[in-house]
Amino acid sequence: MRRILRPVVFGLVVLVLLAIPVVAILARSYFLSPTAQPAKAQPIAFTHPFHVNTLGLDCTFCHRTASTQASAGVPALEQCMFCHRVVPTTNKPNLERLVQAFESNTPIQWNRVHQMPDHVKFVHSMHINAGFDCATCHGQVQQMATVEQFRDLRMGDCIDCHRQNNARTDCAVCHY
Amino acid sequence: MSPRWGMVIDLDRCTGCQACVVACQAENNIPINTEAVYLQNRAIEWIRVERYWDGEYPNIKARYIPVPCMHCSNAPCEPVCPVYATYHTPEGINMQVYNRCIGTRYCAVNCHWHVRFFNFWQPKWPESLQNQLNPNVTVRSRGVMEKCTFCIQRINHAEQNARLDGNRPLRDGEVNTACAQACPTRAIVFGDLDDPESQVAQIANTTTRGYKVLAELGTDPAVLYLKKIDPEAPAHGGAESA
Repeated sequence: MRRILRPVVFGLVVLVLLAIPVVAILARSYFLSPTAQPAKAQPIAFTHPFHVNTLGLDCTFCHRTASTQASAGVPALEQCMFCHRVVPTTNKPNLERLVQAFESNTPIQWNRVHQMPDHVKFVHSMHINAGFDCATCHGQVQQMATVEQFRDLRMGDCIDCHRQNNARTDCAVCHY
Repeated sequence: MSPRWGMVIDLDRCTGCQACVVACQAENNIPINTEAVYLQNRAIEWIRVERYWDGEYPNIKARYIPVPCMHCSNAPCEPVCPVYATYHTPEGINMQVYNRCIGTRYCAVNCHWHVRFFNFWQPKWPESLQNQLNPNVTVRSRGVMEKCTFCIQRINHAEQNARLDGNRPLRDGEVNTACAQACPTRAIVFGDLDDPESQVAQIANTTTRGYKVLAELGTDPAVLYLKKIDPEAPAHGGAESA
């Protein structure tokens, strides 16, 4: 009995040892995929809640190309300055930084929140014009002090929504 | 009704200038082919111009034939892929899904036209060309196959615009591939073969010079060639001007 048991136990141990790197690699690719990235602090603490709730701005007031182009567009500093030219900056370090950056012609290096791989082509205009709300994918940004990813945004998530809405699920719609 | 994309290449107009090759390389983020790469037969050219010598010196002529992917309706490259990384779109384009490809290269082996290319290295561009990459085209990483896509980024873009513009069908001429756009003699014509009004369909339906490369294999290529007119040939049934 023991003669059989030994090689079996040995084999199991070897299998478990071999499985550890495989599981580690799979876990890594799962947890480091586009979703589940920790929310990053931005170089200027821009508050969506204030601009949306208090000032009542629409998403497309700043993200101007959302309904016409593939990219929704992160506004250039110049666009911030359309309003902030007249907003007093005293005792507001974030605003001081903004004006200073604008005057010294140095763009703000915003941290990207929604990281799509290079082989995925998401087109904002098609989704907005199909009647989807920004919040469908981005969540309630007007309640996020720091913007974080709301949806899974991996391929299964995209495909589920495409199937529910009878959108095309041909590979070449998004991958090219 | 989805279109059926196709191409007509008039060899009588082709001068072998390679403008199509350059345009394709620029449009589709194709890595730079150095001499060393050519010597290893690993150059990536989604469209290439093949040159043949016709006749004996001094009565010798250069013949050129641009070869993109034929986008066969019955493509030999598709069934051999173990991971379904290459497939046929409903619009008749043979597509490579880069994120699915695991680099077995079976498709390249099974392609009779040698128009599938493998990325043996991570593509690199000099610093001066970094900002010249086309953002609408994926940069293929090492270990995946790539091939002519009939400039699907342009097709998708035009289709999206047409949908936003009241969901109308695409008009002829709204989509053009980079090679057809760059061709100075307009030897390459691209368009929807199912639209009888399109230029490409009219040429394909009326020409008497048309042939398909390796048509005997029965793969039904979407690229139609028009054979060169030989002015010295005796004027019999085969010679005509169009």
